[in-house]
Amino acid sequence: MKLLHTKRAAFAAVLVATFGVSLGARALAFDDEEKKGDESEEAEDKSVPEEEKTAWFAVTHADIYTGTGEILRDATLLAKDGKIVEIGYDVDIPGRDYYTDVPEEKRDFRVDVLDAQGMRVYPGLVAISSSGLLGTGGDFRDSIDPFSSNMVLGLAAGITTTGQGRSAVKLKRYVPHEPPLPYDFDGIVVRDDAFASMSLSSGAAKRSLIEKFQRASQYLREYRQWEIDVKKDKELKEPDKKGVDGTVLEVLEGRVYPMFRAAERADLLNVARLAQEFGFRPVIDDCREGWTVADELGRAGAFAILSARDRRDKDESLVREGGSSIENAAILSAAGVQVAIVPESKGVALDGIVGRDIMHLPIEVDFAVRGGLSEALAVDSITRIPARMMGIGHRVGSLEVGKDCDLIVTDGDLLHYQTFVQYTVIDGELVYDKQQELYFAHIRPRPEVELAPAAKLDAGEDAPAEEPKDDAKDEDREEGEGGE
Amino acid sequence: MLDARTTQARRRPLAYAGTGRACRRAVAAAALCVAAVAPSAVADEEAPGLAVLAAKALVCELDGRQVVDDAVVLVKDGRIEAVGARRELAIPADYAVHDAGDSWVMPGMVDLHSHVGGPGGYNDMVYQVNSGLRVSATVTPGNARLARPLAAGVTTILYIPGSGTNIGGQGVLMKTRPGDFEDVVLRNPGSLKVAQGDNPKRWGYGMQRGLMNHHIRYSLRQGKAYAKRWQAYERGETEKPARHLNLDVYRDLDAGAIGISTHTQYYQVVLSTLRILRKEFGFPVFIDHGSFDSWKLGPIAEEIGVPAILGPREVLWHRAYSFDTEGAAQGTAAGFQRTGVSLIGFNTDAPVVPQEELPLQAAMSVRYGFDDARMGTVRGLTIVPAVVAGIADRVGSLEPGKHADLVVLTGDPADPRTSIERVWVEGELVYDASVGVRKW
Repeated sequence: MKLLHTKRAAFAAVLVATFGVSLGARALAFDDEEKKGDESEEAEDKSVPEEEKTAWFAVTHADIYTGTGEILRDATLLAKDGKIVEIGYDVDIPGRDYYTDVPEEKRDFRVDVLDAQGMRVYPGLVAISSSGLLGTGGDFRDSIDPFSSNMVLGLAAGITTTGQGRSAVKLKRYVPHEPPLPYDFDGIVVRDDAFASMSLSSGAAKRSLIEKFQRASQYLREYRQWEIDVKKDKELKEPDKKGVDGTVLEVLEGRVYPMFRAAERADLLNVARLAQEFGFRPVIDDCREGWTVADELGRAGAFAILSARDRRDKDESLVREGGSSIENAAILSAAGVQVAIVPESKGVALDGIVGRDIMHLPIEVDFAVRGGLSEALAVDSITRIPARMMGIGHRVGSLEVGKDCDLIVTDGDLLHYQTFVQYTVIDGELVYDKQQELYFAHIRPRPEVELAPAAKLDAGEDAPAEEPKDDAKDEDREEGEGGE
Repeated sequence: MLDARTTQARRRPLAYAGTGRACRRAVAAAALCVAAVAPSAVADEEAPGLAVLAAKALVCELDGRQVVDDAVVLVKDGRIEAVGARRELAIPADYAVHDAGDSWVMPGMVDLHSHVGGPGGYNDMVYQVNSGLRVSATVTPGNARLARPLAAGVTTILYIPGSGTNIGGQGVLMKTRPGDFEDVVLRNPGSLKVAQGDNPKRWGYGMQRGLMNHHIRYSLRQGKAYAKRWQAYERGETEKPARHLNLDVYRDLDAGAIGISTHTQYYQVVLSTLRILRKEFGFPVFIDHGSFDSWKLGPIAEEIGVPAILGPREVLWHRAYSFDTEGAAQGTAAGFQRTGVSLIGFNTDAPVVPQEELPLQAAMSVRYGFDDARMGTVRGLTIVPAVVAGIADRVGSLEPGKHADLVVLTGDPADPRTSIERVWVEGELVYDASVGVRKW
């Protein structure tokens, strides 16, 4: 832990060096203890420390594609401290619609408003797997590189969360603030152990896995019975947990989905049978021949991960259908299988070949649409469904009140090849702006949006520069806001 | 038979051998092909002809019509008979009719950089110069690697040798449909393949551009002299020269009947393409596999009549010490367009990028800055490569007399979401998505 702390402190020093700003003691305070110390030191300072301010974030005038079926035209989305609090119309934004008379330095909140006139808002994309977007891997709290250009390119592709290794991680980039804010190393991991890898690939593996499931389900039955019986007989001993595989038990309890790698028909059917026998929902990676056994997978409640452009000819020695199919995603979806789509190349490719790597995730999805998948399900395949697979659907994957404010603003239909992500927002913080980065700013530059009506600017100039009369009034308002 | 085709080609100089404007006139004036190809059966074998009705026809004439709404395409004897709006064009009563409903119809797509015409064996690297090798020896019509491309609407390819040597040999222009060799070959040789830059360095230890340029110059000089000897003989001025199989291709080149398809990449390499192949020797040349920042030489290329066929490395990313893009992702096609190059097409280098992803190359060029306002993507997949390869008299647009290579599709060909419903090659239905398993 001490080593960890030292590393982080060193890292913060790098942040200082890079941005040439002083982060101050506060920015270096990674541990809660240190934070408390700082608070007492500066308790007399009337202005609210920057990181303790309530962070409001709003997107206005946008066509909001919530990812739950609704599309709200010219609507507003409001987030507070990284969580969505309101999506709709007539949304009041602090600092714009109320608290306008509180001067900047006295505010206990900060607010960013993004005018997305004529643009669309989608949930941030979720790449079920990727490589190289975050850093070296392992414990991402330690290894993440928040200045990585690959991460910026991932954000430019609209990806806000990705599965990597066994974790679900956000592409939290370090964004310079004035005054500076600390980097939230803990906030990057949405879930550790989001996947439970399992194998049925060999006879031995299959036998071993079935035994584990048998033992764990036996234990679960005994435990459930014990839970009932122990109410009558308090002395009754808890059933023996010996030989119960912890991961398999988690799967049977529905706490994590098991992930199988299975491409061919026979392997897929094995997974489906196992899932139905023991009552769990399998995630099937590389589900190439899924379209030939879609009904069986649908009945087993399977999730499928696939590349729409998978190319494998069928084994000509077999009479049945086989190999890859452009219709795979569409056929599986029609049978009730939830499909997540990944490109075949999961890293960032800078070799000049474009349209095939993680930077072109929506392009991969286009090929599933070509194969008959509906456009709504196509968007789901890179937002809601992969989020569900990783057990983080309550946090990310769609725009709903209470969920994380991870969103992208695009200049058009997400699935059109010409569309660029204009802004990416994670936890209510703007982490990517196309016009502020060197990569794509020159390609169809975004027209300048008029920031404020001229009339308001004039009023500001004419208004006498004076402080608001009483602070008590502000406090009242604050309480009022809390009661909303 | 092949010789007959070649001879016929020799009489017709390549359209783009002059400057942009001159080449357009040349194509406009080009006579229709009268090569004897057996007429293929139309969809309904009893019917004397076929009418394809579509919401939109992407006609893709070089200078004329581009789009006809509510269109009908009449096909007879494997050739396009007429194209027009339904209200203006009468459909003969005995023709078979395919009503594509809301879908569109376009000419079959043309890829000028492909290696999937056969199962392999096209990258001999024993010698650094292989002018005499013909890739046509490996052509395998209907091979497994052509099934998806055909279902994607790619009906014509320039199947060329690999880029492992400076002069890889002779490519062949062929259709992707199944059939006999004689049926699928459009022109043999289709081009002379020259590779510059990095790939031929693999040929031997210590290869650098100096020696490679020397190899190319030496060979072209030999070839040019050989061609002149034969021209002198044909004029009756000299004895019949000894036949040299390695140099025969230069007679076609010098006559302008075929061009050099050059595997060239970044601008330094393209500079030697333009200077050596076009300016010094005057051969018809096109930039093939144009990539990265090759667009920097766009103005020179346009001035000396070198078209640009681009892909699959269509974007130049900033790379420290190699490429300074000031951080930007530069689109190659966008650069050529900005620098005024009139003939811009797209290629895949299949199987580096799968052949069926030819239209995606056009889509990606738009994504990275190419302005598609004047149908640059569709033209770059059809008429432009056809003109560049010198086969615009037969393929590349929906014009009477041309091969009835028709693709019925659900919308914008560049959009990956667009699916292909039917493909005809020379009037023969070769793919129908509604029958059996969809291929692409």
